[in-house]
Amino acid sequence: MKKKYAIFPGCLMPTEQYAYELSIREIIPLLGIEIVDLEGFSCCGEPMKSVNQFLTLYLSARNLAIAEKDNLDVFVPCAMCHLALSECQHVFENNPEMKKRINGLLAAENLTYTNKRQIVHTVDLLHDHIGLETIQQHVKKPLKGLKITAHYGCHLIRPSEIGRPVDSENPQKIEAILTAIGAEPTTCPQKLDCCGAPLLTNLPESALTKTGQKLQAIQEQGIHGMVDVCPWCHKMFDNRQTKAGETVAAKLAVPVLYLPQLIGLAFGLSPDALGLDLNLSPVEKLQQKEEA
Amino acid sequence: MTIVDLTSMGEPQTDLKKELNARLTKLQDEISDFCFQCGKCTSGCEAHKLLELEPHKIVALLKRGLLNELVNSDIIWTCMSCMKCRERCPQRVAPVDILFGLKNMAVASGKEIPGKYTGMLQSILSMGLIQDIQQATTRTNKTVKRDELGLPPLSKPVDVTKFHAGIMKIAMDKV
Repeated sequence: MKKKYAIFPGCLMPTEQYAYELSIREIIPLLGIEIVDLEGFSCCGEPMKSVNQFLTLYLSARNLAIAEKDNLDVFVPCAMCHLALSECQHVFENNPEMKKRINGLLAAENLTYTNKRQIVHTVDLLHDHIGLETIQQHVKKPLKGLKITAHYGCHLIRPSEIGRPVDSENPQKIEAILTAIGAEPTTCPQKLDCCGAPLLTNLPESALTKTGQKLQAIQEQGIHGMVDVCPWCHKMFDNRQTKAGETVAAKLAVPVLYLPQLIGLAFGLSPDALGLDLNLSPVEKLQQKEEA
Repeated sequence: MTIVDLTSMGEPQTDLKKELNARLTKLQDEISDFCFQCGKCTSGCEAHKLLELEPHKIVALLKRGLLNELVNSDIIWTCMSCMKCRERCPQRVAPVDILFGLKNMAVASGKEIPGKYTGMLQSILSMGLIQDIQQATTRTNKTVKRDELGLPPLSKPVDVTKFHAGIMKIAMDKV
């Protein structure tokens, strides 16, 4: 029987980062996982953490409770949402008083959360649950000679204390996936640098500078492209690349893809189905390299 | 109950302030026992090079009880929440969480909230997400929305009134 996961889309992916959702819905079912859509999810709460942490916790618990109602584990493609839900899980495990308080409030919507859902992100779903072997079996066009660097995103790798899907100082799971699809994972000293997105809300210029600095470093190292696994990181590195370049006075041309998009290309799927048309960074450079 | 009450730009939320104050005072005691100002947090801080945030100084100031000064400072809003400080602190102090506490405190004290936080909160209150469906631009300058791409309907709270009431309870309980 196919393993089922309720997809928790969050806010950013389903309202503007369509390429991530399209590519996920293409490759994940191919790899034997059934994605179930549920009604009624809300924001994970993480964007409100600076305003009111209790609201964050409440919203996270509410979303987990919706998945619990259908007895489903949760697949969270956004790194920020993944952290919010995992943190809620951690609080519920360690603070029974808070758990009681939140569940008391959730009762108004006939919801309750007992803390039994498994929460997975794109990276551990692919690496740990689907497995490299299965991914490899689906590869039709190995991405030979493509030097790709991985951007994990801060919220996915830290804090290890509450349990994150990858190592906090030397994450390697995306690299292993890149190898499995025939590409050449390339590391750089800026690997763990932040994309800047959390500052978009109140200091957008500084946010873009952060993005520009990282992309510039990658470009100078002759790396062919970058993959990311978070709609916030991608919004910065791909959608806003030209603007980010202006902040560091550089003409940036780094192809940036969502990891599932690159996997899809290696599977021989059509670029249209993977939403490649929605990437605003020069992804054609990567496709030309691939053909050459 | 309106957005003004929730973000407390109208009246300061006294009970919420009290709870946050207790939490920060507790943190202050713990920090005094643990932080020895090694500066590891600041050496890795993403906001340090760009915006001169110095987490070890935030901790030092809190240690000395300068809570009001911190709450009223703009520097607390430069944190990128990369959580490297929390990960790398040899004494498990977590400056990032202190900063979240300070920002919450600023909001509860009725200080003006910078940037787009109010707009995002308003959107969560009215439809459950930080924004509604947007048009995306393609490489060939066309605009598309999710239904045109064959994606299923957006998942959002079905009964917005009920959802709204739940959030408002948080504001009224002033947890």
